[in-house]
Amino acid sequence: MASSGISGYAAVNARVRVMYSALLTPQEMGRLSETPDFNSLMEQLKHTAYGPYLEQVRDRDLTPRRAAFQLRERLANAYSSIIGIVPDQTRPLLVQLYRFFEVSNLKAVLRGIVKGEHWDVVRYLLFPFGTRTVIPAEEMMTAGNIAPAVELLRSTPYYETLSYAMKRYNAEQSLFPLEVTLDLNYWRDLWKNVKQLSSLDRTQASRILGTMLDITNLMWAIRYRTYYRLSEEEVINYTLPFGYHVHDEDIRGIAAGADAAQIVQRVYPGLTQVENLTAKSGDGLSQLELQLQRRVFDQCQAAFVGDPFHVGIPLAYLLLSDLEIQDLVVLIEAKSSNIPAEKFKQYMIMKN
Amino acid sequence: MFYPEEMTEIELVVPAKDLLAVTKALGEQAIFQQSDSSYLTGESELAQPKEWQDKASAYAALERRIQTTMQALELAEGEPSKKGFDAPVDVNSVQAVVGQLEGEARKTSEQLTNETRQVEYLEGMLRQLQPVADVDIDLSKLQGSHSLFSVLGVMPVENMERLQTSLSRIPFVFLPLHQEGKEAVVWLAGSNANSDILKRAVSSSYLNPLTLPENVKGKPSEIIASLNSQIANSKNKIRDLKNTLVSLREAHTQRLQRLLWEVRSSRMLTDAIVRYGRLKYTYLIVGWAIASKLPQLQEKLRKVSNEILIETFPIKRSEVKQNVPVALRNPKGFLPFQDLVTTYARPLYNELDPTFLIAITFPLLFGAMFGDVAHGLMLALLGVLLLSKKVKALRSLASLGGLVTICGLVATAFGFVYGSIFGIETILPALWIHPMENILTILGTAVGAGIFLLTVGFIINIFNAAMSRNWGRLIFDKNGLVGLAFYWSLLGYAAGSFISNFPIPKTALLVTAVISAFFIMFAEIFKHLVEGHRPLIEDGVGTYAIQAFFELFEALIGMLSNTLSYVRLGAFAVAHAGLSSVIFIVGSLINPGQGVVYWIIVVLGNIGLVLFEGLIVGIQTMRLEYYEFFSKFYNGGGSRFEPLTLSASDKGVN
Repeated sequence: MASSGISGYAAVNARVRVMYSALLTPQEMGRLSETPDFNSLMEQLKHTAYGPYLEQVRDRDLTPRRAAFQLRERLANAYSSIIGIVPDQTRPLLVQLYRFFEVSNLKAVLRGIVKGEHWDVVRYLLFPFGTRTVIPAEEMMTAGNIAPAVELLRSTPYYETLSYAMKRYNAEQSLFPLEVTLDLNYWRDLWKNVKQLSSLDRTQASRILGTMLDITNLMWAIRYRTYYRLSEEEVINYTLPFGYHVHDEDIRGIAAGADAAQIVQRVYPGLTQVENLTAKSGDGLSQLELQLQRRVFDQCQAAFVGDPFHVGIPLAYLLLSDLEIQDLVVLIEAKSSNIPAEKFKQYMIMKN
Repeated sequence: MFYPEEMTEIELVVPAKDLLAVTKALGEQAIFQQSDSSYLTGESELAQPKEWQDKASAYAALERRIQTTMQALELAEGEPSKKGFDAPVDVNSVQAVVGQLEGEARKTSEQLTNETRQVEYLEGMLRQLQPVADVDIDLSKLQGSHSLFSVLGVMPVENMERLQTSLSRIPFVFLPLHQEGKEAVVWLAGSNANSDILKRAVSSSYLNPLTLPENVKGKPSEIIASLNSQIANSKNKIRDLKNTLVSLREAHTQRLQRLLWEVRSSRMLTDAIVRYGRLKYTYLIVGWAIASKLPQLQEKLRKVSNEILIETFPIKRSEVKQNVPVALRNPKGFLPFQDLVTTYARPLYNELDPTFLIAITFPLLFGAMFGDVAHGLMLALLGVLLLSKKVKALRSLASLGGLVTICGLVATAFGFVYGSIFGIETILPALWIHPMENILTILGTAVGAGIFLLTVGFIINIFNAAMSRNWGRLIFDKNGLVGLAFYWSLLGYAAGSFISNFPIPKTALLVTAVISAFFIMFAEIFKHLVEGHRPLIEDGVGTYAIQAFFELFEALIGMLSNTLSYVRLGAFAVAHAGLSSVIFIVGSLINPGQGVVYWIIVVLGNIGLVLFEGLIVGIQTMRLEYYEFFSKFYNGGGSRFEPLTLSASDKGVN
């Protein structure tokens, strides 16, 4: 498919809307939240669109970790299916968006190596790319050390990025520089792809992905400054100079020690209790991130209203699907650990 | 040939004593695909020690070690023994041998890797120093200065701007000295009073400072000379180590290759056993076998085990409810075309294998676009050359040889039809027409051919649906009966608008089009009705209505674009003549006297044209097959039949 606009997005739009209709409704999510335990949750989920994925595994093997893995299979299929039908000029953006999970896998493998975990422990923590990934995860785990594992990435786009950080890894024996460079590189490439889109696509993608980028950048800056106590120059070097609503001055302000709560409140005036959320104690920052993710959720829902012939529709669906799975993983963890509803519900993005 | 091989589901109950013999027999025939039946293992057996699993892991580890040793010695894997696989090797004895060979190879190989890395490291430093080669300053003194903080190093280009931003509150000098790809050699300097800030900025921006070996001191030009000498020394060592590896390789080739295949076969055998179900005294084996070869498999199994129980369940195409593996059976000459089909998708078990259709239509479509006696023969010769594997650089393309030869010969035949040789249409008489002189006729005929092929596509889809008793798809699919009615009523309506006295009234055609459009739009509801599937609409009326509208819209656009797409058949035939004439015109312009230069241009131009246009026409033909033709009837998505073998070199069935 080469064209964009109506002819390019007609089929994409039709297919995505059908897939969109299979997302869980707040009522369904509510019913899932009310299940008494993990097994009942799995039984209920088998009657949703996730059923076929969960039924691939025998009940006795369906551990919480494995269940989360199976749910992500559905997202992997959605990505493959949508990437295959979007117009040529939009495809690189979706491919790059999909790489988010590959970067996460890579970080998980590196952590697994450092902790000396067995492959069987790590494999179901990874996003199920199947054969579509360039990361030789199992071989990397077998390599046993970070340096030879990174060498196995030689023919992939990650090698050059990681090679700059390897000197620091060798000196500090910390994965932090490797993870930061992977993240920065990922978001830089994603933003480049957004900027290369044509007008309407660029507007839609900037709105949705720009908000995600803003949230990520903002969280980095606050975490580095408030939690890790990094210096101004380090915070600046570990963050991005661009965004949608969050500008470089905001990030530099946080880096220089300005009141993060004030900056967050100015960028997102609708947020409540921001001062508590950015405070150092407790899990305030996670709650702030959750509130901002709910904004992304609302923006994705809004993308389905109005002119449907643009990249916003597939993008919004994929992100909604991802957020839905994040909620389901919260449910899985809560039900398997017998956490009461009033506690786990505050960690869910979809309100039910 | 028209359908994949018929399959039979097979279940075996094997006494433990015959386990190895039966597994070997299954692996030797390469006609049995194993299904994982380990979940059938009884509860009491689950608690028993996992003897076979441990063995499989041990063999896998051994195989990896042998492969690593062979890689260190740059040794190919070779072929499995012609005598075949006898019995699993003893893990302990092989471990001892592998340990000894591994030790010898590893030591030399590690030294070689270290020396190679040393050369890479020194060359990296050289690259960083080259931009400052002319600077007449002792670098070690600069780095040890009391008042100046200075760093020379490499960093990602993308981080350069951010580094400067991060230092905006202090005075500094930043000079990019050299940039190559995503990497830059830079020099950063500032006051030593700010060294803490500068160090943190350097580290967080991934600026890797150049660290000179302790024995290397002086001006850049002196350091470069010293580095060059060290590189030369390391390269000498590398040469000696490579010679050592060659002698090791010559001494151990046969032994390592034999060990690798023995261990690999043992690993494959144990892997297969791990996937069996285990009961108290027997093993359960489940899988698929090619129906036509089942009797010989049964005979062989009964020979090796008197007590084996064999149950078979033939799978009828019309009753397929599960994913049956697909083994294709086409004559050898059709293999290039089969590859074209499987590149798109492997057919389903109950679906027509379109290889024979591709074998007919692909060369015809290609020939129609590339019709030229001389160019077709050149292409056919290229195909023969590829098949012969005589040119080393072209060996990887050998599998395309047959396809290229056939396409070349058909293009030659079309050359006679068009009366075209080297793109010149004045030498040979045309058996039909000269494309350049009859552009509208050839374009119209091309669209006609497209309508014919698309109609064939509709008919095959209807046939496939009938064979799989999918009545909903047969009648209501946009490529089924209503789709065909819609397509032909639109064609008829269009024809009636241009042709006076068209035999069918336009109103009748319009009514047919509207009725069939209605069925296409709401096909899902009607399919559900026929199949007894409830609810009729699954995702709400609103969503369904939007989807239904786009279904019809897509069907209409698809039919129109698919039909017009075949115009390219005629357009390329015309373009071929035009492009060819350009070569002669350019030759005449550069060398009007038609001397040597003229003929060099003509020869090279024609070779270039055959390769370039051949490639483009090949891609266009593939497009017509895949997008226009296949989309009418072909679903694909079948899974490949992967027979159990005890040697990875057995290719088995396609």
